[in-house]
Amino acid sequence: MGIVLSTVEQGLIYAILALGVYITYKILDFPDLSVDSTFPLGAAVTATMITNGMHPLLTLPASMLAGALAGAVTGIIHVKCRVRDLLSGIIVMTGLYSLNLRVAQDKANLPIFGTDTLFKNGLTAALPDAVADYAPVLILLALVVLCKLCMDWFLRTRAGYLLRAVGDNPTVVTALAKDGGMVKIQGLAIANALVALSGCVMCQYQRFFEISMGTGAIVIGLASVIIGTNLFKNLSFLRATSAVVIGSILYKACVAIALSSGLLPKPQDMKFVTAVLFLLILALGEVRRKKVKAHA
Amino acid sequence: MKKLLCILTALTMVLTAGLALAEGETYRIGIAQFAEHGSLDNCREGFLAGLAENGFVEGENLEVDYQNAQADMGIANQIAQGMASGDLDLICAIATPIAQACFNAADGTDIPTIYTAVTDPVAAMLATEDGTATGNVTGTSDKLPIEAQLKMIRSLMPEATKIGILYSTSEVNSESAIAEYQALAPDYGFEIVVSGISATADIPLALDALLPQVDCLSNLTDNTVVSSLPLLLDKAGEAGKPVFGSEVEQVKLGCAASEGLDYFALGKQTGAMAARVLSGEAAADIPYEVISESSLYVNYDALAAVGIELPEDQAARAIDVSTL
Repeated sequence: MGIVLSTVEQGLIYAILALGVYITYKILDFPDLSVDSTFPLGAAVTATMITNGMHPLLTLPASMLAGALAGAVTGIIHVKCRVRDLLSGIIVMTGLYSLNLRVAQDKANLPIFGTDTLFKNGLTAALPDAVADYAPVLILLALVVLCKLCMDWFLRTRAGYLLRAVGDNPTVVTALAKDGGMVKIQGLAIANALVALSGCVMCQYQRFFEISMGTGAIVIGLASVIIGTNLFKNLSFLRATSAVVIGSILYKACVAIALSSGLLPKPQDMKFVTAVLFLLILALGEVRRKKVKAHA
Repeated sequence: MKKLLCILTALTMVLTAGLALAEGETYRIGIAQFAEHGSLDNCREGFLAGLAENGFVEGENLEVDYQNAQADMGIANQIAQGMASGDLDLICAIATPIAQACFNAADGTDIPTIYTAVTDPVAAMLATEDGTATGNVTGTSDKLPIEAQLKMIRSLMPEATKIGILYSTSEVNSESAIAEYQALAPDYGFEIVVSGISATADIPLALDALLPQVDCLSNLTDNTVVSSLPLLLDKAGEAGKPVFGSEVEQVKLGCAASEGLDYFALGKQTGAMAARVLSGEAAADIPYEVISESSLYVNYDALAAVGIELPEDQAARAIDVSTL
């Protein structure tokens, strides 16, 4: 039971990141590599604020703001300086690495053990034991559902409609006499705000900041988005945002299954088994789709 | 089919009998290692040897679940959470980030965390300033014997003034080691020139800039730099400058010499601590330990290549790695 719970918890944390990646990758059609450093940026902001005695709740908007700024910079570099999308992400990712160290008070590893966090504070300590085990997963669930609902709402607004149009058909945006570049910058800011929020939550969950925690974040994000959207393509009642959240939990479940010692001939084979599990999920999704088509 | 059943039944009986023979309690421990890395592997082997010496033998009365995070923080967390949610008697965490992850995950359970290869347990918040634990956790530190290293370099290179150190800015252990190098270097008449990198790909450029400024290089236990040691040795060799390692594995690979820790011994010491915890002592009551004495490991071929002769007083205590 414990392992299922912790897998869901971590899946939910990365689901926030995956929602951000969904905006850039699926909606804007922008491969945004800055994610690898905006994730630790959120964590760095959080660790520094908490070690300086600030309230854990304050870290959420603060890291989102930091992430939004970084995302906007990626957008400005791309739109205003006409740098290729991949490269503008790389530029921000590279530069932020040093900045993250500065934010974390020049430390590559900043622990926040022993201080109040989102998951361990006076409030959660007062909970009865039976509920306390589920406190983190409930807090995370609330946070993820809130993010998802906000995003669903936003995508239905005028600004959200423009955002979708920029990725799908930029001419429409121009025809509406809107600046497509501004919309892109906006989208990148929102996406990276979510990514940094995910980093903020991760930092409070693991209770330390580590500069290398962003390595491969974009891979997790992309995999979650693709697993989620591919697997649930035909379920029209499931919004893409929900599919992405489930995708992220599935991603973490694959790793958890690969880690559970029975499957591994050797610990070194963990990544290979994870890769095979991904392939299985995607292939199963494909088989199921063909069956649906055959019945139609 | 019947035959197969017979064989199966027989096998089961033999197995059950074997299990029944193994007397007493069986302990289950988890080993969470951060990355695949010579020193960390030595730590793990030493840990199991230390446990065995104290009567906890893998395969007899000890079950070991070994997992490696392959330097991925996300996976390190999953390993830690997975181990903490199992019914283990103890978690051994090798290297700082995974030690923190395990300590965090096991908080609230009654599973003790025993760490090793953590350079600065106080900075990592695994111990307080006075050496006591911050929770159900204890272990060993692989703090570098920096003063001994400086002394050794001085005796081998009496004319040298500048020592170059390459380190990655992402490793907290390297930062604290450099701070200590810089504090101690003036006592031995050295100046430390550092060059920070963020990825393996930066190493060649950083070396080209660093080597002309210095008389020799001295390594830390920096994982990124140590992983690229052959490249570093190549470049330094071309420039005719000696490289001093931080532990025996590096000297085996071609560093000239090192005042180093024996990671196998460090692991063994950790294993002995783990045995105390398994026997009933509380991890929180055992202060963390540091290996204090270092040994001089020497690679005579590498020394000869840069034209250095080992002074006699040093030669007496030197361990020749070619014989290891």
